[in-house]
Amino acid sequence: MGANGSGKSTLAKTLCNLNTFSGKILLDGKEVERYSAKERAKKIAYIPTKLDLYDTFLTVKEFVLLGRFAHKESFFDYTETDRALAHDAIELFGLKHLADQTLHSLSSGESALVLIAQALTQQSQIIIFDEPTANLDPKNAKIIAQHIKELKQTHTIVLITHDLHLAAFIDNPVLFLKNRSAHYFQNDFFTDENLSRLYDVSIRSLEVVYD
Amino acid sequence: MIKTTLWIGLVVIVLLSPFLGAVDLSIEDIVHLKGLSAQIFYELRLPRVFFTFFAGAVLALSGLLFQTLFRNPLMTPYTLGISSGATLGAGVAIKLGLNSLFFGIGAVTLFGFLGALLTIFLLLYLAQFLKGSQQSSLLLLGIALSLFYSAALMLIFYLGNTIQNDMLIRFTMGSLSIIGWQSPLVLGSVAFFLTLALYAYRFELQLLAVSQESAKLKGVESQKVTLILLLISSFAIGILVSISGPIGFVGLIVPHIVAKLYPLTVERRIFKTALFGGFFLVVCDTISRTLPSQSELPIGIITALIGGPFFIYLIITNKR
Repeated sequence: MGANGSGKSTLAKTLCNLNTFSGKILLDGKEVERYSAKERAKKIAYIPTKLDLYDTFLTVKEFVLLGRFAHKESFFDYTETDRALAHDAIELFGLKHLADQTLHSLSSGESALVLIAQALTQQSQIIIFDEPTANLDPKNAKIIAQHIKELKQTHTIVLITHDLHLAAFIDNPVLFLKNRSAHYFQNDFFTDENLSRLYDVSIRSLEVVYD
Repeated sequence: MIKTTLWIGLVVIVLLSPFLGAVDLSIEDIVHLKGLSAQIFYELRLPRVFFTFFAGAVLALSGLLFQTLFRNPLMTPYTLGISSGATLGAGVAIKLGLNSLFFGIGAVTLFGFLGALLTIFLLLYLAQFLKGSQQSSLLLLGIALSLFYSAALMLIFYLGNTIQNDMLIRFTMGSLSIIGWQSPLVLGSVAFFLTLALYAYRFELQLLAVSQESAKLKGVESQKVTLILLLISSFAIGILVSISGPIGFVGLIVPHIVAKLYPLTVERRIFKTALFGGFFLVVCDTISRTLPSQSELPIGIITALIGGPFFIYLIITNKR
């Protein structure tokens, strides 16, 4: 967490080796840049807030299947197993009726679900969510929040968000970025005093509304 | 229905193409392999149709590739100045009167290829200074390079003698007049190689068409794949331009028509684009050969006459 421009997304993308950096980032004890792109994708998935898409013909089904790229043999087509996994993910998120629609035609709430479905087929242990509820109305935000909470049972979730309700609901340890330094909170983050101090604005009695 | 009719129409024209032209041929002579008709048919018309087909395929595929990799419907080797680079390279070889062979490759071909290659490296180098959101500035860089190359070519004109200049002018207008089977064989191999490369990387391309970042995150070695494909395509364009001169707008128009006909993701449009590109250019060439005129109309003029207005149409309807 942290204010706008504090470097949350930059940090997250750096973890995925999208940015050049100095220092060391270890992923399962191995430096992140020493993984092949495929091996890295099997370890870590990154879900952007919004998808900037050039290919306007891509359907939901095809898009979710792309999550299987790292598991696919080069040159050869996606296997039946890949397709089955994509199909399952689409069903899990209740997207079956949209499977043959193009991504372009979806609402923000729907595309948020599609992005998670794709990341799930990637079968990586770590999933990074970059402001998953930023574009969503409260109802869709709640749906996404509950999916993330569920994924927390089986995956390591890294969550970037300004949504305090969401953060409190997911209840991860918090790394707060402020003034080029990082503050770590194991569990005592969500107190009014703490929040007000860190965000430089008075925040009172935060309630968890996503339950 | 419309699609089937269109394809059938194209195939019919392509099949008729070698029989059409300034000289009427005797079918009987062609069948019996004798006389001037057979000579024109087998040594000029037929190789030309094959060469033109491969040229169209290379141009269309390169267009598709550039549009996908640079995420912009206006990107082609032509609009990015790569064809101009090849033209200048070939122009330099013509001016210097280089006729010798290097490892069996003609100097004009070699210089054309080097011009294309140099331009793609220059573009990739300059692209580093652009931020992600400024991808379309790459197009401006390409235009700047094209203008620069044109000026350099003008300089060569200015310094050249009449014979060289005549060759240069014909060359820069694009011409598909070839003799014999060597050029179609060379370009056919190049077209085959390019198609194969795109096919081999079709799933990487599908992901790159989402976005560079998304491709990387899903496990594509984006930089490597992008570089390999751009180099192969520039190689193909370099070879093509050094034989035929620059032929504009095919790479721009054909991928768009195919995408309109087949609204599919990029990896399922590779073969269709290559095939349509080939047919399209053969049709344009057939028009240029059958128009009643003193001499044959250069192919570059036909494609530019069709492509120019289409380019403007693309710019004003481009919603991105």
